[in-house]
Amino acid sequence: MLYKLSMRFIADLHIHSSYSRATSKDMVPEALWKWAQIKGITVAGTGDFTHPAWLTELNEKTEPTGDGLLRLKREFEADDIPASCRADVFFVLSSEISTIYSKNGRTRKVHSVIFVPQISDALKLNLALSKIGNLNADGRPILGLDAKELLRIVLDACPQALFVPAHVWTPHFSVLGAVSGFDSLEECFEDLTPRIRAIETGLSSDPAMNWRLSALDRLTLVSNSDAHSPAKMGREANILDADISYESIKKAIETGDGFLGTIEFFPEEGKYHYDGHRACGVNLAPGETIKNDYLCPACGKKVTVGVLHRVEKLADRAHGFKPDGAKPFHSLIPLPEIIAETHGTGVASKKVEREYLKLIYELGNEFRILMDAPLPDIERAGSPLIREAISRVRDGKVNIVPGFDGEYGKIRIFEVEERKQIKGQTMLF
Amino acid sequence: MTNAEARILDGLNESQRVAVTAADGPLMVVAGPGTGKTLTIVRRIAYLIHQGIRPEHILAVTFTNRAAQEMRERTVTLPGKDAAKAFIGTFHMMGLQIVRDNTPHDFVICTRSDQVDLLRAILKDKAHGRKANETAETISRIKNFLEDGDEETRAVYDQYQAALLENNAFDLDDLILKPIGMLRDASILQGYRDRFRYIIVDEYQDINPAQYRLLRLFAGDSGNICVVGDADQAIYAFRGADVTNFLNFENDFQGAGRITLSHNYRSTATIVNASDMMIQNNARRIARTVCPVREGGAPITVASVPDERAEAALVVSEIEARIGGTSHYWLMNEPHRQDYPDSAYSFSDFAVIYRTNAQAEIIKEVFRASGIPFQVIGSRRLSEERTFSDSIETLKGRAANIDKEKLEKAFSMEELIRRALNELGVEDDNLLCRLLMSIIPSNDASTVQNFNDAMKMVRLLLPSDDFDPKADSVALMTLHMAKGLEFKVVFIAGTEDGLIPYLRDGHDDAEEERRLFYVGMTRAKEELFLLHARSRFLYGKKTNPQPSPFVREIPGAFTRTITVPDKAKKRHQKQMKLF
Repeated sequence: MLYKLSMRFIADLHIHSSYSRATSKDMVPEALWKWAQIKGITVAGTGDFTHPAWLTELNEKTEPTGDGLLRLKREFEADDIPASCRADVFFVLSSEISTIYSKNGRTRKVHSVIFVPQISDALKLNLALSKIGNLNADGRPILGLDAKELLRIVLDACPQALFVPAHVWTPHFSVLGAVSGFDSLEECFEDLTPRIRAIETGLSSDPAMNWRLSALDRLTLVSNSDAHSPAKMGREANILDADISYESIKKAIETGDGFLGTIEFFPEEGKYHYDGHRACGVNLAPGETIKNDYLCPACGKKVTVGVLHRVEKLADRAHGFKPDGAKPFHSLIPLPEIIAETHGTGVASKKVEREYLKLIYELGNEFRILMDAPLPDIERAGSPLIREAISRVRDGKVNIVPGFDGEYGKIRIFEVEERKQIKGQTMLF
Repeated sequence: MTNAEARILDGLNESQRVAVTAADGPLMVVAGPGTGKTLTIVRRIAYLIHQGIRPEHILAVTFTNRAAQEMRERTVTLPGKDAAKAFIGTFHMMGLQIVRDNTPHDFVICTRSDQVDLLRAILKDKAHGRKANETAETISRIKNFLEDGDEETRAVYDQYQAALLENNAFDLDDLILKPIGMLRDASILQGYRDRFRYIIVDEYQDINPAQYRLLRLFAGDSGNICVVGDADQAIYAFRGADVTNFLNFENDFQGAGRITLSHNYRSTATIVNASDMMIQNNARRIARTVCPVREGGAPITVASVPDERAEAALVVSEIEARIGGTSHYWLMNEPHRQDYPDSAYSFSDFAVIYRTNAQAEIIKEVFRASGIPFQVIGSRRLSEERTFSDSIETLKGRAANIDKEKLEKAFSMEELIRRALNELGVEDDNLLCRLLMSIIPSNDASTVQNFNDAMKMVRLLLPSDDFDPKADSVALMTLHMAKGLEFKVVFIAGTEDGLIPYLRDGHDDAEEERRLFYVGMTRAKEELFLLHARSRFLYGKKTNPQPSPFVREIPGAFTRTITVPDKAKKRHQKQMKLF
């Protein structure tokens, strides 16, 4: 079988199903399969395997590959996938768990992503966890459990499991977060810390920010979309060169061997890059926050300390340091956002949808367009403005008003005048 | 003072020290909520041992396995050789010991469901078993109250006892009643009096006539009996535990001393003073002063909500506010966030307490939807919430049919229990094993020697043993189940006239109900919420209840009132899609 050979592929391992809160009804196996192809994802996390109904649906609609992954059963495959995008898609059983507990005098809220190879492993883990909390309420269940205990339970139930602390810098729900996290992985996982071999950097941080902490050098920095709707899949992802099997993917993530790097948001676009207070529209750089004594200059309430600030607080290295063996990464902006930017409209507009489909049909999946497609081809299938926009994204020449306190950053690739100018040029030809 | 003595008396206040070191003779320790009752008992046990009393001569009895376990754990950490040899257990455990000592053959213990099965056969009750259930209740009353019962009941009673005899079984009430009979033999009685020379009784206000008789036999007229309790927390009148026994102690035991522990270490001054003002409306009590050690405290929140669903929703949102939200979604809701920025709450810091199990359904529903982990104590209605009770029931149910031969030769207690569980096929053996190991005194080899003994202990488990203090989840329970527990934040739901006090067949026992409410209020360490619905659907009827009269007995200075208005219309949220 061809897919068993070692190959370069993209994996987005943390998503949510329709059984999670505030998640699109469209997050069903068929849609994950379809959108993985449109985006260019070869291996996608199933998300939510702790939810009994979702696990049942997965069991019904997918079949094991024999290598610790799942694939959609043929009878559920739709035939409306653009020929340019068609590709094999595999799923790995994944789930995110929210642990909320009190440790060392503070409330701690830590999210973790867990991977297992077989549905039977998922069932075994679910049985153990169902004694602790309610798995039916949410695809991402809340457990009143120490994250370290969760790790222990996971490893007891399934020794082949992979346990990755999720979006580790997010202020409210992560192991290193400013509001309810810890100052180090050791404080959280104690003697089990060596069992943590990778962390998820989250949307608001990129690998370069994480390189500033020598304590993280031994860990693989993974990136996933945490998508709640199909179109958000792949907004962050991993590039691997390995066999398409659970064991190989796990090994690549744990050892870095075969892990080529990640696809990232520009961290400024993330919801918690900067500090601030959303209700007052106050957006602060870390230095300004300190000057304001961590209070909102408008209302005097405490500001939410963002990821950049938190990284700087825990960092033991200067900005720009790059450790040996650090993996490369690509900072990208999702294609619909780029197209929207060329028109100066919102992402949800009809125009954007039309243009997106045209590009996909002609050039292939979104990752190919964003990273590999020759610029002249993009211009031919799209427009000079899109070509210029993608060229700038590839070169990192974009302006972003950083996100803060739950509000996404605002991207600007073109100044208004520029957009007119480039459009004007094309009118001449 | 020796080193050991200093350790035993370390950190005690004056009245606790007096209670711990009081000399021989009957002693009553009046211990209100949060006054260090268990601390005083375990220190007294340690002090007796330190004075040269042999641990085997000490008997400490309480009502729940949970309380007995805590006492055992705390006793063995104190100075004192062989402290584990003291008998620390429930009344049932003590009774079981006596029945076993004086019954030549092996026997089984039947639980309430076994009783009902026997009675259904006797009464030919083929329907839903309501008659059998009621009769089981009546028989239990006869045994606990040491009553004769009317003629009709007596006939069934005799048939029932014959059936027990035939099955070589005792019911739980027999574990108290049978020893009373056995102790009529003067030499047997003397044997126990020689053995249990120092008696300590916890929660003495909950003692029923049968238990009283048994203790009385042990202690003689002026024995070394120390009873600890609080008349204001007597809540088991319906099981025959009349507060009278507590009030009469000083008459019953000539020359009895009395010590009052009055410093409350648990709750804020607001909660201590407010609950004290409320309970002073009872007539049948021992007047006492309370001194809150902790100052100030947030006012008690009296919340008026539209209905029972809004009541549960308010509880959930207050918990979320203290935890700091359980999802990003919640954080987007500006008014609530940052209310408790430097808090250290976990889910086990919260309890929701109500008068009747019927109230629990809607609360469970709202909690389930919220995703907040919770445990329901002492209730096993829904199969999806498999709790200890379910496992206990499974275990009890299958205990009778087990192949015991395989288990007879187990070497250690742990091994014994593990094998028993494996044999029973109980799935969640980790959880249950932990529970059983903690309940069964592991170093008291005389109590549990073989599998049958282990099974007997399993049958002594109570609904309150459901509570898993290690499970980090919000506790939901009735007021009766809340006794002996404490939480940072307590919500009492349904503080409405008709529920608190609970109106049964058109009348209520106001003093008992007030005590029950007092128990509920005094569970709270930091914050207390008293919620009442303006409209409630209960027992198939819609009602418009008034707030509980007990809430009105709390002076306004201790409370703040919030009113949740009737429902506003929900706004529908649109989802953005690309395709």
